[in-house]
Amino acid sequence: MRISNRIVTFLCLAALPIGAQSVDPKALLNPPTNAWLTYHGDYTGQRHSKLTQITPENVSRLKQVWSSKVSQGLKASPIVSNGVIYITAPDILWAIDAKTGKERWHHEHTKNNAFHIGHRGAAIYKDTVYLTTPDCHLIALSTKNGEIKWDVLIADSSKGYWSTNAPLVVRNHVIVGVAGDFDNLPGTLKSFDADTGKAQWTFYSTPPPGQSEPKSGGATGGQMWNTGTYDPELNLMYVGTGNPTPVLNGPARPGDNPWTCSIVALNPDTGKLAWGFQVSPHDTHDWDASEVPVLVDGNFNGQPRKMVLQASRNGYFFVLDRTNGKSLLTKPFAAVNWAKGIDELGRPIPDPAKEPSRDGVLIAPDEGGATNFWPPTFDPKSGLLIVNAKDGYGIYFFKPEHGAYGWAGADYGLAGKGFLRAIDYKTGKIAWERPYAKGSSSAGVLSTESGLAITGDSGGNLLALRSSDGTVLWHENIGRMGGAPVTYELEGMQHLLVSAGNTLYDYALQ
Amino acid sequence: MYNATVFPKVLIAGILIAQSPAVLGQPNPQARPPRPPRSSTQSPASAPRPKSAAPQTFTAAQLREGEVRFGAQCGFCHGKDAAGGESGPDLTRAELVAKDSNGDKLAPMIRAGRPNNGMPAFANLSDADMKAIIAFMHGQMDKFAELGGGRRSVEPSDLATGNAEAGRAYFNGTGKCTACHSPTGDLAGIGKKLQGLTLIRAMLYPSGARGAPSSAPSKATFKLASGQTVVAPAVAEDDFSVTVLDPLGARQTYQKTAVKVAVEDPLSAHFDQLGKYTDAEMHNVYAYLESLK
Repeated sequence: MRISNRIVTFLCLAALPIGAQSVDPKALLNPPTNAWLTYHGDYTGQRHSKLTQITPENVSRLKQVWSSKVSQGLKASPIVSNGVIYITAPDILWAIDAKTGKERWHHEHTKNNAFHIGHRGAAIYKDTVYLTTPDCHLIALSTKNGEIKWDVLIADSSKGYWSTNAPLVVRNHVIVGVAGDFDNLPGTLKSFDADTGKAQWTFYSTPPPGQSEPKSGGATGGQMWNTGTYDPELNLMYVGTGNPTPVLNGPARPGDNPWTCSIVALNPDTGKLAWGFQVSPHDTHDWDASEVPVLVDGNFNGQPRKMVLQASRNGYFFVLDRTNGKSLLTKPFAAVNWAKGIDELGRPIPDPAKEPSRDGVLIAPDEGGATNFWPPTFDPKSGLLIVNAKDGYGIYFFKPEHGAYGWAGADYGLAGKGFLRAIDYKTGKIAWERPYAKGSSSAGVLSTESGLAITGDSGGNLLALRSSDGTVLWHENIGRMGGAPVTYELEGMQHLLVSAGNTLYDYALQ
Repeated sequence: MYNATVFPKVLIAGILIAQSPAVLGQPNPQARPPRPPRSSTQSPASAPRPKSAAPQTFTAAQLREGEVRFGAQCGFCHGKDAAGGESGPDLTRAELVAKDSNGDKLAPMIRAGRPNNGMPAFANLSDADMKAIIAFMHGQMDKFAELGGGRRSVEPSDLATGNAEAGRAYFNGTGKCTACHSPTGDLAGIGKKLQGLTLIRAMLYPSGARGAPSSAPSKATFKLASGQTVVAPAVAEDDFSVTVLDPLGARQTYQKTAVKVAVEDPLSAHFDQLGKYTDAEMHNVYAYLESLK
């Protein structure tokens, strides 16, 4: 016994130095508070931290610890591991010392001609950090020095694919998506071996290249460009799929066009579809359902449920039973005028009179949507999903001369009003909202166990609010926030990391 | 960024000056240069395509590099062919491209962006990339002018489905448009000044359309301790502060906690109307405005 104890002790000690530098994939199941290991912080997508040092009472004592300027605008959510921050922009990943804000190393990908519109973030596993690039490479880099371990292609960017994706790591699977609205391309999600980069599976949300299926109605698209979530008990991952292509030409692709504009549940080991739920059947307005599918366990109508929540770009809020994809609730959370009602499955029924037309139709929301890629937060205590939302209007046109390829139509945003809105998941009602004076915000939201919600407003203010009622407790103008805030503990202090423009800002109490 | 803390005293001083009309017209060295006048009349999307004004020649290598750089940096919003993409307009019909000569108009605009229209600033573009991108834009404008058509085209004839008489009734009745507008006043000849897509966008929400007449600025109404109210044009507002032009044309920022202020958006009635129009009503009002020639 004694010997084996000693051996165990020895093994633990020996393992420590490596362990301290390496992220055990099991840690992703129960992430420590001294790190922010995934795009969402954990697998649920709640973007909620257990940390309680910063509270509604003391938040006014937040002060900048350091700021760090990089060479490109930041729309990513950082990940933080072992005192190092990893943050990305198109073609580049920086490793930044969390204590000082100084760069440790960076990796810059070769110049390429794919779309450079933004980047969502990195992913980490053991001592590897992963970067997707506009030209659809998935690159595995050593966390120590940024050396390339392997570099694989996710899709062919010359066909019109590009990637902004923060990968989802589940065990040894690195699951990555691509975008591609300007060409008629099948919706593609791929998994690669986290250690070797070997391709594992591909899930197509619309028929694979060269194949057709009557039920798709001839639609392509349904790209999965945002990061999904994962339930380890059910061993299912959840990801939102994008709009069908051709984008505005509905007659070219009759029917519901599954699985575009959907939440799909997949087995992360095989990529097999368990179920799908279409939040916008037969979309003709570019409303990708890519928003975070947030996993919540709680009571619904008095019954304990495993649920998935989505505040979707089409203006509706959905609550589904995530074991089977059945609808529990569908309610608008922003201005909408495109649906005739809700069908028996809980899906909005698109009004044919609101399909893009030659003379134009007035549509709410606009193409940018009632919300978009920026992540919301879920505060378990109050049961509120808090999201940057917009009441917006656009005008949509389609005529046969626009063709049936890519965009195939024209649309123009007219006007929008921005809000931070808190949706009660049990009723779908807006529990509170904070209208912004001008414009709308594309910042993500973070909540903490101490009852705070953190986000950026449309005027460039970093906001701390009481999550239960939306009271603003503190603000500081740093410029418009592009990504999503994260929080973690470092040497006994809770830090808040946010980005605006080209700059990363670290805050802590003083 | 305007973070100056301004005390009520300064406000009052500013307001006292504001009340003296004699000062209003005087030039002010601190004032920002006046905004260039909104480009005159026609919708870039419904007018005949402009041709690049000054003949400009670019090397084949520049055009090739431009296609690549344009695609990467601009293509998502404006389309890889510059004829319109996810949210940005068709640049092959854009007046600014037509008026540009070797980047004199485009380069500063691209570097500064158009934040109010959702276009980010490309401050870090290298000069070589900028030149190539601009070369490509000119090349595409000339190419599309020869080809005709257009991926995102909306012609005035496409919009002509409404009934002008019904539109007039709506304008004078349900729509309450006469609260601010008059067919013989501000809208006299509007159907001659604006056409097609520009007219319908300007009708729905004036600041959203290029070439639309600029609307009145927002008004900030300050309520002083004395009960007196003072009005000033508001140029910026967020949830915590409001920036107004003082009588000398300089920007003054006031924290909302320090003053009593209400900002009125002259376009709020247009925004509310967007939630009320049926598509038929929208097309009828368009037909009515189109008839005001």
